[in-house]
Amino acid sequence: MSSMIILTLLVVLMLTGMPISISLGLTVLSFLFFMTEVPIESVALKLFTGIEKFEIMAIPFFILAGNFLTHGGVARRMIAFATSMVGHFHGGLGLGGVLACALFAAVSGSSPATVVAIGSILLPAMVKAGFPRSFGAGVITTSGALGILIPPSIVMVMYSVSTNTSVGALFMAGVIPGIALAFLLGLTSWYRAKKFNYPRMKKATWGERWVSFRKAIWGLMLIIVVMGGIYSGIFTPTEAAAMSAVYAFFVAVFVYKDMGLKDVPRVLLSSANMSAMLLYIITNAVLFSFLLTHENIPQQMADAMIGTGIGVIGFLIISNVLLLIAGNFMEPSSIVLILAPILFPIAMKLGIDPVHFGIIMVVNMEVGMCHPPVGLNLYVASGITKMGITELTVAVWPWLLTMLGFLVVVTYWPGLSLWLPRMLGMVT
Amino acid sequence: MKLLDHIEEWIITFLMGAATLIIFASVVHRYASGFAIPGVQDWLLTIHMGWAQELCIIMFVWMAKFGAAYGVRTGIHVGVDVLINRMADSRRAKFVIFGLGAGALFTGIVGTLGAIFVWENGMHYYVFNALGIAPADLPEGPTLPDLEWPTWIAYSVIPMGSYLMCFRFLQVMVSFIRTGELPHHDHGHVDGLDEDEPLAPGKDDAIYRMDDNLHPKPLAGDGVHHHNKNEEGPK
Repeated sequence: MSSMIILTLLVVLMLTGMPISISLGLTVLSFLFFMTEVPIESVALKLFTGIEKFEIMAIPFFILAGNFLTHGGVARRMIAFATSMVGHFHGGLGLGGVLACALFAAVSGSSPATVVAIGSILLPAMVKAGFPRSFGAGVITTSGALGILIPPSIVMVMYSVSTNTSVGALFMAGVIPGIALAFLLGLTSWYRAKKFNYPRMKKATWGERWVSFRKAIWGLMLIIVVMGGIYSGIFTPTEAAAMSAVYAFFVAVFVYKDMGLKDVPRVLLSSANMSAMLLYIITNAVLFSFLLTHENIPQQMADAMIGTGIGVIGFLIISNVLLLIAGNFMEPSSIVLILAPILFPIAMKLGIDPVHFGIIMVVNMEVGMCHPPVGLNLYVASGITKMGITELTVAVWPWLLTMLGFLVVVTYWPGLSLWLPRMLGMVT
Repeated sequence: MKLLDHIEEWIITFLMGAATLIIFASVVHRYASGFAIPGVQDWLLTIHMGWAQELCIIMFVWMAKFGAAYGVRTGIHVGVDVLINRMADSRRAKFVIFGLGAGALFTGIVGTLGAIFVWENGMHYYVFNALGIAPADLPEGPTLPDLEWPTWIAYSVIPMGSYLMCFRFLQVMVSFIRTGELPHHDHGHVDGLDEDEPLAPGKDDAIYRMDDNLHPKPLAGDGVHHHNKNEEGPK
């Protein structure tokens, strides 16, 4: 009963268009006030203690690191490196686009920024080389979403915060699916390019490759700093995030010289703006999950779900569909923060691995960013390609189908995500 | 008002940078004190950085609260606007105002609850002692485990940040009623994409330029550049 009231209240408030954080908070406040005896003063304290965890602080650090490297200059270096490696295959620039998106997205941590940065540089080049606009738009829109799967990923930190799963294990688990999805998107581009005979580039010499690699490696080292630092135990995930922010600052200002010291306050301010928004959603989501736990809702739902005799497969289908639908209305972080506390206990009861479930959620988010009617990447891409959403939807479908196929594989083949962390001894 | 805007920006910029440096310093310190350099090692071992994590957390919570208020001004707090964007303008406006009002209500309530909490958990004791009118049995509030500061100072950001946010919601609401414009944040903003636009002399004060989507838009502006395609979608 109370679960119905809470969820209905939340959905109604959200549909009025108010900020998600506010609708979460108001749901909690009004329910506690009208329906329970819980002292409402405890809410205020929870707004502080809710984010008083050192693990959460990885989020602002990763955003800061990403913002230092979210720059056209970095995008150009990644594109140069990517096209020198794969440009000579069929649809060379398109393949380069997939690889450049994967690299840039991993470093910058933002899917829309990746679409804009890689897209606005690569798309004109592709059109000039004779690719149809829709091909380029499809490649960039879908590949831009790779960033939340390839570590370091902020969405994974969100998942780990709301379910107490190890960030390190999640990051490691994202590596192979991330590479596999990038490969599959590349394969799709290659197949279509071959079929329609799109241009390919002259094969780059190893000398050229080396030069472009040396330029790109400074940015790519960010991934090494984070992953290596966490895996070897030199840093905790949050410390790794802070180190990567300092590293990114160093690379952007002193190595790449894309920005001067005078730009630093601006980057700090915009990172703070973004992080504060996410932290504000987290605080309110913590309140919300406190309310859910207080009303024993996850437990009830888990029992009800298992009472229907639904198996692991059925539950995973339901979660996939639910997450895809939610992907139409909200951005990834909010979805994870709201739905993870509800779905996670059920998954645990069914014996699904927490890390595997996290990867399923992340891949779902990724698909959700690219599919119509409303995906953030679609909208951003529509801005830079000057194509309508409908037109873009048609352009995107070959890659979107690949992603959906990949989602099924990730969902029902735990080994794909769990093999690497298992090898490294991070999950049992 | 301008001053308040700037103080807000300075505070969150400072907190962001300082917290990063503190964690960086504490990690460097931890490893540097492992090397047996005569003199230096002894000196490093005398410094304790155990408070770094706690201070970093507090700085980030402060940044989050003031940043959330700043975010209202920059329009970064997004909601589910698929439904209301399909409505006629006049009805949509009603929902937008309702949403902003709800934001002001929530932050107002939380600010008040927070103020009561802070007052009862140490500020009461502190203020009354400072005034010399404390009753003998008034409890001194709790302190932070590592820094040993009174917790009420750390927690005081809840009322301050929330009231500021409440004020920002009202501010945006008033300007929306007046001009029909909402601040809008561009999530796909990337620097350095159009390099043929030269940085003309006198333009090197790029931080203070208002066209980079990091500064609040003049709400009463013409709003031409607000009509971004992705305004219609969820952020």
